[in-house]
Parts: sequence; C-alpha cells; structure tokens
Amino acid sequence: MTAPGGSTAGTAPGAVLLPTASGARTGAAVGELLRPRWALAVAALVAVAAATGVGLLTAPILGHLVDLAVDGHRAAAMTTPFLFLVVVAVVAGALTVVGESLVARLGEDMLAELRERLVARALRLPLERVEAAGTGDLTARVTNDVGMIADVVRSALPQFARAGLTIGLTLVGIAVLDWRFLLAALLATPVQAATVRWYARTAPPVYATQRIAAGAQQQQLLETVGGAATVRAFHLSARQLGRVEERSATAVRWTLSGTALITRFFGRLNLAEFIGLAAVLSTGFLLVRHDAVSIGTATAAALYFHNLFNPINAALSLVDDAQAAGASLARLVGVIDLPDETATAAAPPPQGTRAADGNGRRTARPPAEASSVVSTASVFSTASTGPAPAGVLAGAGQQVATARPVAPGVLVEPSAASVSVARVTFGYRPGHDVLRDVDLTVRAGERVALVGASGAGKTTLAKLIAGIHLPSRGSVSIGGVPLDELGPAATRRTVALVTQEVHVFAGLLTDDLRLAAPGATDDELRAALDTVGALAWVQLLPAGLDTVVGEGGHRLTVAQAQQLALARLVLADPPVAILDEATAEAGSAAARALDAAADAALRGRTAILVAHRLAQAATADRVVVLDEGRVVESGPHAELLTTPGPYATLWSAWTAHRPDAPGGSVPPLAPRRA
Amino acid sequence: MNVVVPPPTDGGAPPADGDAPAAHDGTAHAGIAHAGAAHSGAVPSTGTAGLAGGDQPTGGDLLRAAVRGQRRRLAGGVVGAICHQGGEALVPVLIGVIIDRAVATGATSGLLAWLGALAADFVLLSLGFRFGFRVTVNASEWAGHDLRLRVAARVVDDRGGAEEGRLAGELTNLATSDVRRASAVNLVMPGGTAGFAGLVVAAVALLNVSIVLGLLVLLGTPPLLWLSHLLGRPLERRSAVEQERAARASGVATDLATGLRVLKGIGAEDAAVARYRRTSQDSLAATLRAARAQAGFDGAVLVLNGIFLAVVALLAGRLAAHGEISIGGLVTAVGLAQYLLSPLGMVTTVIGQFAQARASATRIAAVLGARPAVAGGRADPPAHPHGRLRIGGLACVDGLRGVDLDVAPGELLGLVVTDPDATGALLRCLARERDPDAGVVELDGVSLADLPPGEARRLLLVADHDADLFAGTLAENVASGLAADGPAMFAAADAPTRAAALSSALAAAGADEVARALPDGVDTEISEFGRSLSGGQRQRVALARALAADPPVLVLHEPTTAVDTVTEARIATGLRELRRGRTTVLVATSPALLAVTDRVVMLDGGGVRADGTHRDLLDSDAGYRAAVLA
Repeated sequence: MTAPGGSTAGTAPGAVLLPTASGARTGAAVGELLRPRWALAVAALVAVAAATGVGLLTAPILGHLVDLAVDGHRAAAMTTPFLFLVVVAVVAGALTVVGESLVARLGEDMLAELRERLVARALRLPLERVEAAGTGDLTARVTNDVGMIADVVRSALPQFARAGLTIGLTLVGIAVLDWRFLLAALLATPVQAATVRWYARTAPPVYATQRIAAGAQQQQLLETVGGAATVRAFHLSARQLGRVEERSATAVRWTLSGTALITRFFGRLNLAEFIGLAAVLSTGFLLVRHDAVSIGTATAAALYFHNLFNPINAALSLVDDAQAAGASLARLVGVIDLPDETATAAAPPPQGTRAADGNGRRTARPPAEASSVVSTASVFSTASTGPAPAGVLAGAGQQVATARPVAPGVLVEPSAASVSVARVTFGYRPGHDVLRDVDLTVRAGERVALVGASGAGKTTLAKLIAGIHLPSRGSVSIGGVPLDELGPAATRRTVALVTQEVHVFAGLLTDDLRLAAPGATDDELRAALDTVGALAWVQLLPAGLDTVVGEGGHRLTVAQAQQLALARLVLADPPVAILDEATAEAGSAAARALDAAADAALRGRTAILVAHRLAQAATADRVVVLDEGRVVESGPHAELLTTPGPYATLWSAWTAHRPDAPGGSVPPLAPRRA
Repeated sequence: MNVVVPPPTDGGAPPADGDAPAAHDGTAHAGIAHAGAAHSGAVPSTGTAGLAGGDQPTGGDLLRAAVRGQRRRLAGGVVGAICHQGGEALVPVLIGVIIDRAVATGATSGLLAWLGALAADFVLLSLGFRFGFRVTVNASEWAGHDLRLRVAARVVDDRGGAEEGRLAGELTNLATSDVRRASAVNLVMPGGTAGFAGLVVAAVALLNVSIVLGLLVLLGTPPLLWLSHLLGRPLERRSAVEQERAARASGVATDLATGLRVLKGIGAEDAAVARYRRTSQDSLAATLRAARAQAGFDGAVLVLNGIFLAVVALLAGRLAAHGEISIGGLVTAVGLAQYLLSPLGMVTTVIGQFAQARASATRIAAVLGARPAVAGGRADPPAHPHGRLRIGGLACVDGLRGVDLDVAPGELLGLVVTDPDATGALLRCLARERDPDAGVVELDGVSLADLPPGEARRLLLVADHDADLFAGTLAENVASGLAADGPAMFAAADAPTRAAALSSALAAAGADEVARALPDGVDTEISEFGRSLSGGQRQRVALARALAADPPVLVLHEPTTAVDTVTEARIATGLRELRRGRTTVLVATSPALLAVTDRVVMLDGGGVRADGTHRDLLDSDAGYRAAVLA
C-alpha cells in the first residue's frame, strides 16, 4: 500500500525501510494496550452511552409535547415536558463531562504508553538497522505517525464514539416508536454503505499523492529559502522560483482533486438522507392514516431521523482518518516489534587483568567522574573472583557460560581495554568490500591515529570497532572479548564513538550533558566542561549551565557543539574512545582549539583517532595508514617518516607549506605525556 | 527557571536611518510572480511592486488582494453556499409542512406534492454544496499559490533582507502554514455568507409561524452563543497552554531520534529513554488537564442549549395549546430552534478564522515588506570588467575598522583573517548581503553599492565554504554556476564550450574524483542541500560551481576545510591555473592554499596587519606564522 508521504519523501532510494506490522498484529497490539485498562474502557463506554441515551430523550419528549397540543390540552400541561427537557439537558451535560474525560483518559493513556514503548525501542535499535532504513524513516515514524494517531485519539475518537452511539441509540429509539419506522430509516443504509466503500477505495491514493506533493513543495521551499544567499550569488532565482511554482501548482491540483472527492462523497450521502427521510415521513403518513401511531409519534420519528444527518456524516467522514491512523499504527507496531539489540547480548562485559599503570592513569583524570570511579572501585574489590554475573545487562546474564572472571555491574576496566581487530573483512554491499583482511591491535591506553585518503575505510573501521556494524569475516575484540559475546549495551559503555555529526539536544545544557552521565552533579559537569576548555564560554551563556540550547533555544556554534560532544565523552568516561574526524569540519583556527580539547578528553583512554588533519596523527602513539581497505603501514609517527612510504608522502604534502613543522620534530600540540 | 534566549544577532541590523530608498532593479522575480498568477487569472499587483515602491503591504492589503484576485470564483462560491445552507434550513420547515398538510390530514396528494418539494430542496442543497465548495476551495488554493510565490520571490530577491532574523524553517512554515491560513479568507467568505443566509431563511420561517416565537428564538440565540463563548474563553486559553506542553513530547522524541548516532556513540540510550518517559508523562498530565477542561466546556454548552430548547418548546407548546399556532408551526419552531445554532456557530467560527487569517497575513506582510539588506543603485556595470578590486576604509560594527585593500587585475590574493566575525562581515559586504557601516568596495572604479545588487554579484562572486547545493544532478549543480548570467546564457552557449568549461571546473575543484565515486558519475542525483554527499564531496562540488561561474572577481572562503591534504594540494594548483588572469581572493588560513597566492594580506584587530608574499610573511611575522601553521 502507499506509505504516507512524510516517510517516503526523505528516504534514499534502495533503503530497506523499517517494517510495518500486519493488520492482525496491529489489532493485537491495541488489545495489549487496552487489556490493563479494561475497567476504564468499560466506564468510558457506559458514561458516553448514558450521556447519548439521555440526550436522545429530547425527541420523544418533544413528540409528547406535540401530542399534548394535538389533544387540545391546556397550556399549563406543557410545564411537565418542559421540566423534563431541562432535566434531560442537565443530566446529559453532566454525563458528557464524565464520558469525555474518561474517553480522553483512556485514549491518552494508551497513546502515552505507545509512544514511550516506541521511543524506547527506537533508541535501542541496532544503528545498522536504522541506517539501512535511513534515519528519516525512523524520525518520520516517531514524529508524523505518532502525531497522526494523537490527532485521531484527541478529536476523531471521541467524535466517532459519540456519533456511533448516537446513531445506534437513535435507531433503537426509532424502533421503539414503531418497528416499521426503523425499516424505513434503514432504506438509506445501502446507499451509505456503497458510498463509504467507493470512498475508501478512491480516496487513499489521492490523499497519499496529495501528501507527497505537499512534502515535495515543502522541500523545494526549504531548499530555496534556506539557500537564498547561494541563489542570489549564482542568479538562480528564476530557476528556483520556477521549481517552487511547479511544485506548488502540483500540490494545489492534488488538493483540488481531494476536494472534488469530498463533495461527491457528501452528495451521495445527501441522496441517502433524502431516501430515509422520505421513507420515514411516508411511513408516518401511512401509520397515522391507519391509526397505528399518533401524529406526535410520526413527528418524533421524523425529527429523530433528521437529527441523524450530522452524526452519520461525521462518522462516515471519519473513516478516512481511521484508515490513516491504522496505517500509522501499523508502522509504529512494526518498529516496536523489532528485536531489541540487547536481546542479542550474549555475555556480560569482560574483566581483564589489571595492568600495573592502571591506577596512576586514572588519578590523572578530572574529578568529575564519581559514578565511574565507583564502578571502577567495585572492580577492584571483586577483581578476578568472578561471582555470578548480573546487573548491567538485564536479562543477558543467565546466558553466560564462561570461565571468564566477571564482576557484577562492571565494565571493561580501562587498563584491560585493549582493542584487537583480527582479519576483518567488511562491505556495505555484497561484492564491494570496504575493508579487506584488516589486522590491528591497540594496547590498553595506547593512542592510535587512522590515516588515509577519503574512502580508504577509516570511518568504516571505526564503526566496526564501536560495534555498529558486524564484520562479514574476522572479529573485533575489546579486552580479549569478542564484541558479539560482549553484547551491544556493554560494548557501548566500553567503547564510545564521537562522530562528525554534531547534535545539541534541545533543552537545558545540563540535561544534554547528563545524557552521558545521568547522576553527575553540577560540579562534575563543570569539571568535564573545563577539561575540554568549554567552561569559559558556557559560563558566559545567558543562564550559564542552565541555558536552554538546541532547537528553539540558544544556538551554539559548530565548534561549541563539538566541544560539548567531547564533554559528553569525558562524562561517559569509557575506557575506549574513538574520535572520527570530530574536529575536522570546524575550520582552521577553531580546529586547533578542538584538537587540544580532544587531546584532553582522550587522556587516560585507549583511543583511536580518525585523523583528518595530520597534526592529530603526529600526537598519537602510533599511526596506522589505510589504503583501499587495507592496512598499508603502521608505526610511530617519527619512525614512519624515516621510511619512504605512503605516510611520508602524505606528511610531505601536509608540511610542504609548513616550514615550521619539519618532520614532526616539533609537533603542533604539546606532547601528550611529558 | 529556563530562559529561552534569542539567537545572537549577527550584527546585520540595518543602519537606523529612515525608510530604505528602495529602487526598482527589474530582476527576474517580478516576472516569475506574474507567471504564477497566470494560473488563477489574478495579478498580484501589490507584492513585488510594493517592495519596489518602498511601501509596505499590510495584512489587510494581502487579504484584500487574495479576495479581489479570486472574486469570480468567490461569487460562485457564495451562491453555492447560500443554496446549500438555505436548503438545509428548509428541511425542518418542510418536515413541519408535511406533518401539517399530509400526515395530519391524510391527503395522499399533499404527501406526494410535498415530498416532491423535499426532493427539490435536497437537489438544491446538494448541488449548492458540491459546486459552491469546489470553487471556494479553488479560490483559496490559488490565492495561496500566488501568495506562496510572492513570499519565495521576496526571500530570494536580489536585495535580500527577508531572511534577516528568520530561520529557513520559519520562512518555509510561513510560506505553507501561514499562507494557507491567510488564503483561507476565501473559504471564510462563502461560509459566513452561507451562515447568514441560513439565519435569514430560518428567521423568515419562524416569524411566519409566530412573531413572538420568532423574536424569542432570534433574540435568544445570540446571547446564548455569546454566553458559551464567554464560558469557553478561559478554557480555550488554558487549553492552548496545555496543548503546547503536550506537543513537547513530540519535539523531544524527534530530537532524540535525530541525535540517535550521538546517543549511541556514548551509550546514552537508557538516559535518553528515561528522559523521554518523563517528558511523555508530563505531556500526558497536561493533555488530560486540557481534555477535562474541554469536557467541562462541552457539557456546559450542552446544558445551555438544552435549556434554551426547552424554553422554546414550552412557549411553542403553550401557543399551540391556545391555538395561536398550528401543530406544524410548533414542529417547525422546535426544529428551527435546534437548527439555528449551526448557522450562528458558522458565523462565529468565521469571525475567528478571519482573525487567524489576518494574523497570518500580517506575518506574511512583514516578510514581503522586509527592509532590503542592501539598497542597490542604478549605475551601469563596466562593460568590460578588468577586475581591479579596491576596498577603502571598510568598517563594520562586527570587527572591521577601516580596511584598505587593493587587488590588481588578475592577481591571486590570499586573505588571512584571524577574527571569524570580521571574516563574516567582510564576506557579507563583498557579497552585497549587507551594506558596510562606512567605506567603499569598488570594482574598476565603480562602487558596488551604486550597482544593482544582482549586477554587483555578477562582477564579484563570493563562494562560501558551506554554500548550499540544490536538488538535481551533480552536473546541473556545477553548470548552474556556468556563466554568471544563469541558465539562459548557459543554454545559449554551444554544447562543446559548455562541456569543456564544466570539465575544467570539475577537475580544478577535485570534483571529478567525487563524480567518479558516485554511481552515475556527474549525472548522479543530489538530494536537497547535497545531503547525499559527504562534507568533503559537497565542498568540492560547490567549489566547482563557483569556478564554473568564472566571474571577473572570485572570492573563495576556506574552500578546502573538509578535504584531505593531498586533494587540497591538487585543488590549490588547479584553481591557480584555472583562475590565471582573473582576479581571485582566497580567504583562508590553510598554508597549502596560501602558498599558491601571489600575495597575502593579513587582517587583525579590524585592519590590515601584514602584506607580503606567503613565504616572506612566514619568515618575518610571528603572528602570521601562528595564524596559518598548525
């Protein structure tokens, strides 16, 4: 079926979209949400039904009033029906308040649980899966589909419940007056059924195309308006405005097609209204002539039916919304039912032997990391005795059958955090290997720079070490434990990856930082910011640490956002850190400041640096040169320079215009260790 | 307490003199706006012309233009709506008549005759809706189309200024949501008229039954609506606040999903999920408060309407008992008392929608009438530009304090600026994106400020390192720069010339390598903003576009920040060769680029600090060394 435009518009061709649940599974998921709330659901239904039922008493009371007038009663006799009408109004009003509140409570409660389950699952999906689908697919589901369902829950659902109950109870009311009135009223049903069938068949493709056209128009506007300076510089306004006009006109024409459908839909419903009304009136005519019912009853039946016009129109026109919400729901359930990456976690984090220099290095760290220091301390107390694993990996511990000593709730201890890549081959597409037989060993605490031209496989190797992709052949181990045994959650806590992508999370700056360390105190946050040289500008922000940043808040520069990313790294305090060109995009002057920040953030960790600027490579303990997916050279900076080879060539290109940096004897940054 | 701080202004605030002397520069946008209008037969006479004439359109002007441009369709819409609503109002009247003349009397002929009348009424109301609604939506949509094009045309107008202080998303939102709300003025008109028509029909029918009853209903309904409005107002206000809080859950979810890679990178999923759960529960509480308020309001309105109906029924029943009205009259009165609420509701809704349309139109008008960022003159550009660039006493609040600079024709000048604010200000002045606070930029002795801004940019092109790419193939993107005259000139050139220019620009920028890495080479489609390319690829394609434009003076800003060292060296040589004989200014700190320049000028503290060759400055100036060497 056609997917809503929001998701398809931003998706790259060839993407493997996230799954969509089947109709049956979607229904079952609604059942799961509904089951724990059955009492609330029943109460809501009863209240709405009662409110509707009481409201429907109006017509027979009016009918009775007509009868009183026909029978020539005195004016005073009208007081009783009047009082009844007032009572009906008050009771129906009160019940409506209760019913609407309960329906909202039910719908919103279910919606909240649904969206929480969705986000929880979405954030724990393997990144590889999300990237295969394109991040747009996930964002569209989290935003558009949840929004679509929320709209339906908020407006359509209560309306639909009321309309449906009104229709049902009115038909009962008509039948109570005389069953023959019901038969007459039902004459309208075949036309209505045919209309809805026709509409349900014809409308969705039109609306889907309409949404896609609107999305395309929006994209075109965004491109033109967002790139206005470029448009002006290159005199592209005629071309860009032409495109805007074309897309806008297309969107307008599809909207008009949708409108034409709506008018035809209501035209057919009008026909049904006439058939039913004429039939009810004729039935009344005949029944009154045969003295089967009073004129008042005939009046009541006609008024009942006339009052059905609006609820029927409302209910039937909601069919469209209901369909759209159903499609959205299926897309959400599809994500929620995906396996959680931790489900594949097979082993708790390893506990290696502690190296002799482990303690010394940790004291060199800023005091900001109380939480991680605690966990380290527990390593020390339980070291190598290995009680039954539990903790960090919920539900994974019982699967462990290993003699490897493991401590509860503990990660790879920094000094044990060696990285070993053994004969790894990997390609994003079959037949196109990006990495071929790569071997790489990084000692605990060592800093290695990956160097190579664009497309050499640096970033891919970094992602494999971070556990984002699994190698097609070979294996990656941290502290001697293969990543597939370690499991994703433990891998993530052991290996941090800071990429080119900068994202500042919307909200308080402190909240942004605490994503990395939820329990950190303000002082610890300050210390982390200080480590990466960001404290000065943070304190100058309008509200300091409590400034609202990100979308809709204070806009940080790219360099500031990157410093923030490094501060998060310091707070997360992983034993192994991978920096993938984290400082490359910032432009020269700022890049140098960021190099210093990165240097501080990496201190005391096993570090792999995807070096874009060779200055970064020069400060590393060892340089590994990649070319077309293979390791072609490896060794300390100074050593590689003395032998002719790829690195020496790269370095001479880099230093050709930098007479002050000959052969790396004066590294641009202060040496890492004195 | 959270403080939301507005983004820092980039100092581009126009000087605080009176109205900008806006002159007509006769660029392409006016033609485009008219071409768009041709669809709907409307001529947006006030939009771009308003900008050119210096008078600012008001929201009211825009709404009037939207209505005027669509008046024929609107007339049809009004007729249709009157038929529809009038027809709807007649339904209960006819029910009463049928009860009176057929059911009560038992006359078959009466029944058939009046059922025929009922059928005719249904035909009237159905066709009225069908055609009235269609032409109305037509009127609204095409008016919106025109307005949207005016907004887009204003934003990309040569004199700029509309984006000042507005994010791209905001402007896009303006061109979609606000435009839709403003052009809905055309939906509102027939709706209001129809509601009014329904009122009139019902009033006539009621007064025909009984003057007293008619007056009760007619005079009673407005206060009733007013009362519900009064009741609803505080609830609506509260609900708006709650809705806003409810929307936060969606915002946070999107934010977290967008930053998924960052979260995964530091293993912060659990913290993020916990944060989302808190937000979601907050939103839930807010939504429920709003829903309860809404339920209270709905219930109250129901009670009010029910009591009103009871009063009407009481009076009508008593009148019928006294024989002052017929039974049919009683039925009609009760039916109409219920029906009347709907057209009255329509009229009040219309008032609300009109207020909304007006607010949106005012926001649109603010953009359309935005003060141009640069005034622009009418001088003729030099016919055969040599490319001598002179900057004299250039000063800007954000970091330029009297910069003097001469660039000889054909020179390749390196410009090292230590302060990013000063770089931004200088580039914006050169690109004619803003006027300097003092000083002059001259090309071959003609001040750029005296030229129409579009002409100035043809002579001097500033290519920023993060310039946007547009949807289309790689070749189309690069070719869009080919010859500063734009596509028309491009099309006029013969194919071999174009191909040669294209491929030499691609090669010089290192973008030929980019093309080779892409599935379809130069014919690979690039998505909006070049998002399908990596940073380095994007930068090289943008550079190729700037080189293909081949302007008399080209200013390149840090064109190689995202490319690797080897490629950077190739690009440096390539652009030196390609720009031979054409004036080029390289605003950069990369030594690989500066090494190929003829001369380097260093700006520091808002003025020129050093001037010489790259090699000499490296030897003699410690500050220069610090600035350019890693």
